[in-house]
Amino acid sequence: MTDTIPSEVASKAPAAPPSVSQIPADKWLKVGPDAGDAEYIAAPSLTYWQDARRRLSRNIPAMLSLAFIVLLLVAAIIGPWFSRYSYFEQDLALSNIPPFFETYEVETGTGETARFFLNSGNFKVYGVGPGGEVEGLLRATKKDLINKQHRYEFGETAVLMDFKSLPARMLDAETGEVIGTSGWSWNATNWFGTDQLGRDLLVRQLYGARISLTVAFVASLVNFFIGVFYGGISGYFGGAVDSVMMRIVEIIATIPLTLYVILMMVVLQNGLLSVVVAIGTVYWVDMARIVRGQILSLKQADYVAAAQTMGASTRRILTRHLLPNTMGPILVTLTMLIPSAIFIESFMSFIGLGVTPPLASWGTLTSEAVETLRAYPYQLFFPAAAISLTMFAFNFLGDGLRDALDPRLRK
Amino acid sequence: MIGYIIRRLLMMIVTLFAIITLTFFLMHAVPGGPFTSEKQVLPEIQAALDAKYHLNDPIWLQYFNYLKGIAVLDLGPSFKYPGLTVNEMIVEGLPVTMKTGVLALLCVVALGVPLGIVAALFRNKWPDTLVMVFATIGVAIPSYVVATVTLYIFALRLGWVPTFGLDDWRGFILPVLALSGFWLAFIARLSRSSLLETLNEDYMTTAKAKGLHPMQVLFKHGLRNSLIPIVTVLGPVVANLLTGSFVIEQIFALPGIGRHFVLSITNRDYTTIMGITIFYAAFLMVMIFIVDMIYLALDPRIKLGKASS
Repeated sequence: MTDTIPSEVASKAPAAPPSVSQIPADKWLKVGPDAGDAEYIAAPSLTYWQDARRRLSRNIPAMLSLAFIVLLLVAAIIGPWFSRYSYFEQDLALSNIPPFFETYEVETGTGETARFFLNSGNFKVYGVGPGGEVEGLLRATKKDLINKQHRYEFGETAVLMDFKSLPARMLDAETGEVIGTSGWSWNATNWFGTDQLGRDLLVRQLYGARISLTVAFVASLVNFFIGVFYGGISGYFGGAVDSVMMRIVEIIATIPLTLYVILMMVVLQNGLLSVVVAIGTVYWVDMARIVRGQILSLKQADYVAAAQTMGASTRRILTRHLLPNTMGPILVTLTMLIPSAIFIESFMSFIGLGVTPPLASWGTLTSEAVETLRAYPYQLFFPAAAISLTMFAFNFLGDGLRDALDPRLRK
Repeated sequence: MIGYIIRRLLMMIVTLFAIITLTFFLMHAVPGGPFTSEKQVLPEIQAALDAKYHLNDPIWLQYFNYLKGIAVLDLGPSFKYPGLTVNEMIVEGLPVTMKTGVLALLCVVALGVPLGIVAALFRNKWPDTLVMVFATIGVAIPSYVVATVTLYIFALRLGWVPTFGLDDWRGFILPVLALSGFWLAFIARLSRSSLLETLNEDYMTTAKAKGLHPMQVLFKHGLRNSLIPIVTVLGPVVANLLTGSFVIEQIFALPGIGRHFVLSITNRDYTTIMGITIFYAAFLMVMIFIVDMIYLALDPRIKLGKASS
């Protein structure tokens, strides 16, 4: 059926017209309105969810965000398996190594070249392999703390690490001249560098993603169940039940929720489970309100009356008829909840109330980076970027979902 | 009007009572007493401490005494700083918190609303895009990330502003920026969408058709009506500016209430945690109440007594 119309049009068209303007006016025939064509529905009718999916897939920022979130999920789940390091393994000899560094090269006298770099934060010198691998901490042969010069020997060549004035420099031990760097190199051993205990930051970052995403999804799910249950009951029963339940919601809404998450954390003691419980039990108020509002208006619908007439139980009407029809707004609220859960978790971890060390979350990584901000600013970059990008992605996805699912826009 | 205000005040008292009760019992549910520490305390000293702070009393009596104290605005002593009361901590920290908080609020309103208006008036043109890009960035980046990143760039790297303290006006810039960022963006987005909605109203067409000056149409008919949703969110904004301040105060080492709060959490100073929580909650409820009253006065369309529904 779909092919017939284009083929009819094609048969009416003259074969290879020279140019439209060259056709004389009387050769044109006006196509009359065809009753059959006007009634013809060219595309299959879409259900609510198909339509929403189509709208969402046309929203480029939302799709990019979705791709980012999926990528992050995959990286968080399988990433740590591919790493040689664990999130708690310490190597104090290789602490605070940056993700990229300026290397120096000196002749050892036997025809070989020694590569090394100077960590300007802690005045230590590390050997570097040809591919940028950090080969380890080099020992100074002589430490002159009065003149602030450490002597390092590479075969027959000796260099001085001079930190009288900052930033520290490398000097030739004989001539006293400043040695120039031979170029930048990426850290092939620890791609994101290491923290102050010598732990690999990439793997900690991935574990941080695990924690943040776990908290976000689990806490949002807990909120979802409490909110939907509470709002559904309040809206469906109405009357006195509704009044009492909504008064309670009003009271909870006045309480500053951040404070209550903090109090809960103080009571429950630190740990991943506590974070989930604290966030999960506090943020359901919005969800309850939205579900209640939807149910209040939907329960007047004929299909509910029909279900009641057929003797369906309250539970069946709620779960089979009413809730599926409120899924759109519920989903939008849920996606908006996820970034706030991520934010609250990292916020709690930042002020020291989140996961217990040595576990890392983006919040603890940020606060650890702040401690060493002056010397090792790169440690702040990755967790800050990760959390900001994730918040961006969830915000864009939430906006996109709202546009796709919001019934007010579907006119 | 009077009836509504009385009802709201009663509601506030009930809420505050619920908060005090919840906080009190939550803090007493924490395993270990306030003086449990790694150091072994002599039993005599422990007994003397317990007696001094009435910790041997039955819990209902402690609760009752605590309520009595709050009734006369006494939040009790700090367990970790002997000789310092929670009231003194609040009195000491409040001016600092208020200064940054009020500045941030001014920033939010004085910058957020105009930005939103500009975006709405130039809808889908470059000023709109610019404002919305900044608004999206502001909403997505957490305040403590803004604080630490700007601290590194402007204080440590460029040295334009001090890294901590509020000794001169430049010290305020970063804390206020970090504190107001999210809400500035939020208010800009809200006022944009609110004004766009108002611009489509029939009375705007009527006003234009009457031949009023475009400026008059915009400011008198459009803006005044679109400001109403913004006023309604100001209560929660004040609440969040204050509760958001504790991490900012910690990063910039500002001696405000928020810093006391965070310190009391790390010190497990239970009376201080309890006292500051209750103070925050009461303060915020009063703020929300005031904002709601302003809202009522501004919008004559709201039927009194039904405003809460």
